[in-house]
Amino acid sequence: MNALIPPFDPHAVFVVPWTSGLPVFGWVVLMGFLVTALCGIVGNYLILRRMALMGDAISHSVLPGLALAFLAFGSRGIGPMLAGALFAAVVTTGLIELLHRPTRLKPDAATGIVFTCLFAAGVVLISLFADRVDLDQDCVLHGELAQVPFEPFLRMGGMVLGPPSVIRMAAAGAVVLVLVALFYKELLVSSFDAALARCVGIRTGLVHHALMAGVSVLVVFAFQSVGAILVIAMLILPGATSSFLSERLPGRMAWSVMHAAASSVLGLHLALWLDCSIAAAMVVAGCVLFVCAWGVSAVRAALRQRFAGADNGEISGAGVIQGG
Amino acid sequence: MKPRPTSPARSGFALWAWGGVALSPCVARASRIGELTTNDVTAQAARFFTFADPSARWALLGALLLGLSCGLLGGFLVVRKLSLVGDALSHAVLPGVAAGFLWSLTKNPFAIFVGATAAALLGALAVEAITRGSRLPQDTALGLVLSGFFAVGICLVSMIQRLPTGSKSGIDKFLFGQAAAIGPDDLVLLAAVAAASVLAVTLFHKELLATSFDPGFATASGLPAVWIHRGLMVLLACSIVVSLQAVGVVLVSAMLIIPAATAYLLTDRMNRLLAISAGVGMFAGAMGAFLSFLGTNLPTGPFMVLTAGGVFALAWLFGPRHGVLARQLLHHRNTLRTARENTLKAVYHALETREFEGGDVTIPELAALRGESAMDTRRAIAMLRPAGLGDLDPASDRIRLTPAGLQRAGEIVRNHRLWELYLANAAHFATDHVHEDADEIEHVLGEETVRRLEERLDHAERDPHGRPIPRPTANSTRAQR
Amino acid sequence: MLSSPTSPSPVSPPLEIHDLTVSYHRKPVLYGIDLVVPAGKLVGIVGPNGAGKSTLIKACMGLVPVRSGWVKFFGQPPSRSLTRVGYVPQRESVDWDFPVNVMDVVLMGRYGRLGLIRRPSRADRDIARECLERVGMLPYADRQIANLSGGQQQRIFLARALAQESELYFMDEPFAGVDAATESAIVTLLQDLRARGCTILVVHHDLPTARQYFDMLLLLNMRVTAFGPTEEVFTSELLQKTYGGRLTILSEVAHAAAAGSDRRIP
Repeated sequence: MNALIPPFDPHAVFVVPWTSGLPVFGWVVLMGFLVTALCGIVGNYLILRRMALMGDAISHSVLPGLALAFLAFGSRGIGPMLAGALFAAVVTTGLIELLHRPTRLKPDAATGIVFTCLFAAGVVLISLFADRVDLDQDCVLHGELAQVPFEPFLRMGGMVLGPPSVIRMAAAGAVVLVLVALFYKELLVSSFDAALARCVGIRTGLVHHALMAGVSVLVVFAFQSVGAILVIAMLILPGATSSFLSERLPGRMAWSVMHAAASSVLGLHLALWLDCSIAAAMVVAGCVLFVCAWGVSAVRAALRQRFAGADNGEISGAGVIQGG
Repeated sequence: MKPRPTSPARSGFALWAWGGVALSPCVARASRIGELTTNDVTAQAARFFTFADPSARWALLGALLLGLSCGLLGGFLVVRKLSLVGDALSHAVLPGVAAGFLWSLTKNPFAIFVGATAAALLGALAVEAITRGSRLPQDTALGLVLSGFFAVGICLVSMIQRLPTGSKSGIDKFLFGQAAAIGPDDLVLLAAVAAASVLAVTLFHKELLATSFDPGFATASGLPAVWIHRGLMVLLACSIVVSLQAVGVVLVSAMLIIPAATAYLLTDRMNRLLAISAGVGMFAGAMGAFLSFLGTNLPTGPFMVLTAGGVFALAWLFGPRHGVLARQLLHHRNTLRTARENTLKAVYHALETREFEGGDVTIPELAALRGESAMDTRRAIAMLRPAGLGDLDPASDRIRLTPAGLQRAGEIVRNHRLWELYLANAAHFATDHVHEDADEIEHVLGEETVRRLEERLDHAERDPHGRPIPRPTANSTRAQR
Repeated sequence: MLSSPTSPSPVSPPLEIHDLTVSYHRKPVLYGIDLVVPAGKLVGIVGPNGAGKSTLIKACMGLVPVRSGWVKFFGQPPSRSLTRVGYVPQRESVDWDFPVNVMDVVLMGRYGRLGLIRRPSRADRDIARECLERVGMLPYADRQIANLSGGQQQRIFLARALAQESELYFMDEPFAGVDAATESAIVTLLQDLRARGCTILVVHHDLPTARQYFDMLLLLNMRVTAFGPTEEVFTSELLQKTYGGRLTILSEVAHAAAAGSDRRIP
């Protein structure tokens, strides 16, 4: 066990990242924060629409999309990868609808069938066509967040901007934020009550597919940094944590961003201490924050019960007649 | 984790990562499958299925056993709408696998089994706790457990990889699966879990059925619904863990869901569903093991899943009761029947205007009545022939209805007018609102309902528009005068 | 052969509820419910939406957690007397695509008596058939449940409850969304059960028929507004108190009731 957990060096863990290590760890934290915050904001809608596992499905089915894009375009540039990912997202959501609409199959079974088959197809494609590889599997399981500061920085008009992953994530994020802001009420109404949304004239089908497309774009960008499976955590954790802290959507968005910041920083320190994967450590830190928020809300509820219990006998007649 | 410098080309290699990940353990293990010197499929097949090769034997047996237990348990998952629980739990085992590995510092199947099962159970408990103790919906709870536990697992794995004794290939195999690596020890576990599943499903069949169909009523009857659920989760955890080695983390849930979903589309009885699900599971397992045996370095899991997916697609399309084609066929038949009955109705109206005198209806007469071309009318009458309802005399262009056709025509018109009367009188519809509704309803009223309507309406003689309500048997004899 | 219930002991009423309080996530749904239901009565539970009518039944059956108070069946805690209690839940509580047929569903009513592992016997199947006969659904015994109308689904739920051979029945909106023929069949069945000495509590949504069908009424709106014989309880004043100010048709009905009219409300 001693070899497993390195000796705790407070200086290395807490001080170095913000001083001498800042040029490196600054970018790492920033990337982690961007991924978590953006995924978290969009993920709030997934939670409200009870589609948390669509995030799971999309992140798995992105694989064959990437495989096909590679085979089709022969390049690993961001363009083909995005195209492949979007294609995969469209096919995934389309197939899931196709499977359960005309039959008595339930949506959860349809989701499970589609993304596992697509993923299996992806692995088969890769095995059959790409078997001369030597590489780092860490990348897929938990991304290469640590590699981010070492990418050659992007330069624009003589100014050095930063690692391309970060810039791309920031750009994608900006677009996503603008779209969320523009279509705020459509997203809100269709998430809350799809039937009402249709009555009011909102094209719920379009909103649904646009949301899925947005998720898959974020997944592709996040995939390289945090891996396929941890991205699911990035989508759901901030929103789930914020559900204990606020009852309204704007409040939850704000808390999601704060959760992202806190988990990125704490995750970095945890990873520095344990010498483990940074992205995984950020998710673990996020889970700890989730449990804390849950605890806080449970304590609040318990306290409220105790004080409410004291005036049990004084329920006003008016309150009773209004009904529940 | 100290950052390592890397070349730019690596950043786009997520794609390759999967391939290598799936392949590297297979490369290491290829020698166990036996030297594949021939590419002849039939020769390979013969070798595989006659168990000439010991590792192939074990792989096939292992695949059959896991197909059996996943199929049986998956049947209950699908009807309880817990399909994605399998996915969540299969990701949640990772920290358990790592912990089991740490316990013995070698690949000790029992330690890893215990660790993984404990992690899966903890995951199931966590899902229950989150669903009950907060207002978060179940799918969010599943996603949280899935990714949260997996993250803890990844932390442990990356820490283990630093250790001098941390042998990577042991862990990888459990993450990505490889049936060829199944040995006799693993078979013992697989057989035990399969036996436990069969036993549980047989002994507790009625409890599982009742709690799956209506948990509220089952609890109210005194059945231990909560314990049944927990028992199912325990079996599920064990089944996932023993199957991980062959199929891999992501794809285990496929072996739980796809065979069961196939069965769900093929049958309306629970015990048949379980049998079909187990059968499809075993078939997919065997085919997957076989297909990966065919080529060198092919992973097993994806082939099992794609086989199962293929069988599902066949059931989805061609399933006799719930398949999409079957429904289309039914719809088409109904449309055809409605069209025929509308033709009959028109002929009847034509005859009626003449008070059933003056011989048969002619094509031009009917065409004028329906406001369509003579050719369309001819086509419509031609459709009556295969159903034995009527025919056209080509020489005189006269339409002859058979006795059955006339009977049916009378029934349709009676249904229509009865329904109009009912809507007008009993439901107080305005008389000009009733026609369209009756146009649809006339085709689907059954005899029992017609009798009840007639009673309700005191065997009335006329509809809201004053037209007589036919009594088909009487009319058919009248028309034949 | 379906057995008749034994006559209940004069000391313990079929249902006794004391100070029952239930809340969902901090919102109170039922407050301090006290109730003693005498044997052999047909009791209607009425109240506005969200008044906790379904919750009351579910709390008695142990399906929702209870914050305080207790429930007793025939003087015993529920855990010991569940076999004497039958339950008809709402139709929406079930997935009607489930791969079972009508007979399977009704047989489930017998499971509570069988204990773990034991299979239903020939006698159980006969009882199930008899119950199907009583609700007029025996010809449909082999049909898959998805192919049934709303009224037919309700009938098999009733048959399942009858197969429990209980003395106390809880029914959650059995008349919701059924056709007139099924409704009168259900009423006849309930009266038949009462004649055999059973006690039945029914959550009901329709006031005019509530007055006709039930011997006693429980007016519920988070608390018990009133409980007693229908004629005494069905007054304009009490209904107003239960339903709040939202009475238009209701006040008509109440006036008619007060005037002692026997006319059916059109």
